[in-house]
Amino acid sequence: MQEGLEAREATQGSRSAGPRRPSRGLRPARVRENLSAYMFIAPFMIIFGVFLAYPVFYSLYLALHRVPTDSFDVFGSLRFVGLANFQLLFSDVKFWWSVLMTLYYAALIIPAGIAVSLTLALLLNNRLKAVAFYRSAFFMPYVLDMLVIGIVWTLIYSPHVGILVRILESVGITAFSERGFLGMPSTAMPAVVLTNVLKGAGFGMILYLSAIQNIPQSLYEAASIDGASGWQRFRSITLPLVKPITFFMVIIGTISALNAFVEVYAMTGGGPNVDVGGRALGATWVTGYYVFDTFYNQFRLGYAASMSYVLLALTLVVTFVNRHFLGAEEER
Amino acid sequence: MTPQAKTRIRKIAVYVGLTAAAVVVLFPFFWMIVTSIKQPGQAFTPNIFPENPTLDNFQRVLSEFGFARYFVNSVIVATSAALFATLFAALAGYAFAKKHFFLRDKIFAFLLASLMIPGLMYVVPQFAVINQLGWMNTYRAMIIPHLANVFGLFLMRQYMQTIPSELLEAARIDGAGEWQVFSTIMVPLSIPILATLFLLTFQFHWNNFLWQLIVTNLERLYTVPVGLALFRSQHEQSYTLIMAGSCISVLPIAAIFFFAQRYFIEGMTMGAVKG
Repeated sequence: MQEGLEAREATQGSRSAGPRRPSRGLRPARVRENLSAYMFIAPFMIIFGVFLAYPVFYSLYLALHRVPTDSFDVFGSLRFVGLANFQLLFSDVKFWWSVLMTLYYAALIIPAGIAVSLTLALLLNNRLKAVAFYRSAFFMPYVLDMLVIGIVWTLIYSPHVGILVRILESVGITAFSERGFLGMPSTAMPAVVLTNVLKGAGFGMILYLSAIQNIPQSLYEAASIDGASGWQRFRSITLPLVKPITFFMVIIGTISALNAFVEVYAMTGGGPNVDVGGRALGATWVTGYYVFDTFYNQFRLGYAASMSYVLLALTLVVTFVNRHFLGAEEER
Repeated sequence: MTPQAKTRIRKIAVYVGLTAAAVVVLFPFFWMIVTSIKQPGQAFTPNIFPENPTLDNFQRVLSEFGFARYFVNSVIVATSAALFATLFAALAGYAFAKKHFFLRDKIFAFLLASLMIPGLMYVVPQFAVINQLGWMNTYRAMIIPHLANVFGLFLMRQYMQTIPSELLEAARIDGAGEWQVFSTIMVPLSIPILATLFLLTFQFHWNNFLWQLIVTNLERLYTVPVGLALFRSQHEQSYTLIMAGSCISVLPIAAIFFFAQRYFIEGMTMGAVKG
């Protein structure tokens, strides 16, 4: 388009080109403008190229290679193995289990996150004195380090002596005392999810709050005149009008589930193990943690890279499916 | 019941709900601080207020267990990373917002598309690149790979597009060079977004545990989260010390958030609302 515009101007014979006047292809001013623009983006683009673009392709190279187990010179001795890593991956029970656990994690955290965020936003959407205080209180954990929050919750969840177990004991519930919340397969994942929901709810709350405050008050008034109850007003006015935010929450919830690592590292290390058909598999063994374990603990770079490619594919599929079936983005 | 009484009851119910939620959300931080000032061996006493509170745990983790060093490392890494990431995003954001150049829109679309790639994807190959550059166990390995912040560039461009081009024209007519236009017009007018991006990248790097764990294995280079994670794996039962280390890790960000929360909240939600 730029070129077309220039050509037109050139045929009109605008020879008295000022510093900004678009001119024929290689006019010094045009060259200078291009050069200076490239100078401005150069630092960013160089870093982007070396550390973000190149690695994506290098990762594909790694995924097609394997480090011989007897070698200490990791990068000098990579051996080409074709699609063997992917073949191995597709028959790796531990990997498919990790995908299942990731889906389980997403299935818990997305609805819970949305429910808590929306509830907080509705509560804050009242004329109150201390709105600013509550808003900051709910948002603050979102900016803090997941690792630390996970460690603190590990203390709270601990068996025998943890404060949560003590509180439950005081009302007569001792089911969790022996192994703690993170030590039992049935409660480990929900416990990780609870920690994460309480950490992240402030973010969704702010999004919902601004969406709710953009809804014209007249809609609610009209509904009230027609005799709609509070619940009906929520169902048929608030909920549809905050749908774009809900859509966004589903997408980022899925993506963060596919990337979940630190919370699992901090709290469970992928465990506790459950017996599935004679195999010990971790109740919080999400794919993100498996990638880390393969790479950092076992140092199988090629295998970890192939896993991360499957992760990328899943992310793209999920985003695509979300766009099509929830399809609310046009409204935004 | 009169309508006034009804509103009042409703209001009280809302306050009760909010307060209960705040207690639940903030309890872990309260518990972290309380545990960090308990006497060693009392980590698990259920008392809300500890007997004989002490600052010994902080003193011990800072001097005996190297957290003072970790803290300095965190400050170095987070500050320099935030500074350069903001600078690079501002430079590039200016060009993408205000200049016409070959392939501009294509390059920008390409950059935005890269936001779809899950972060975990980068970990292995970035580590390989760092290895090949011979950067293992250096500050630059912790800082440089994350200096191209595409989301930051996006925020920057959005903001700079709203600055009237006439101002830049006027400066050029007065003989200002490109760099002068950038530094004397764009930068001063973009202070709010620069501050936002600086704070967000500072926070990101302060908390960037996984990457810092991967590229360092020398204790003198550990940042606070890395030091904390490894301290915990060695002293699993010393919860009073672990909590003191945790405080050192999160309290700086909490304090910055307290004073600059507007920037955090706006910056973090901007992408969602506008994007």
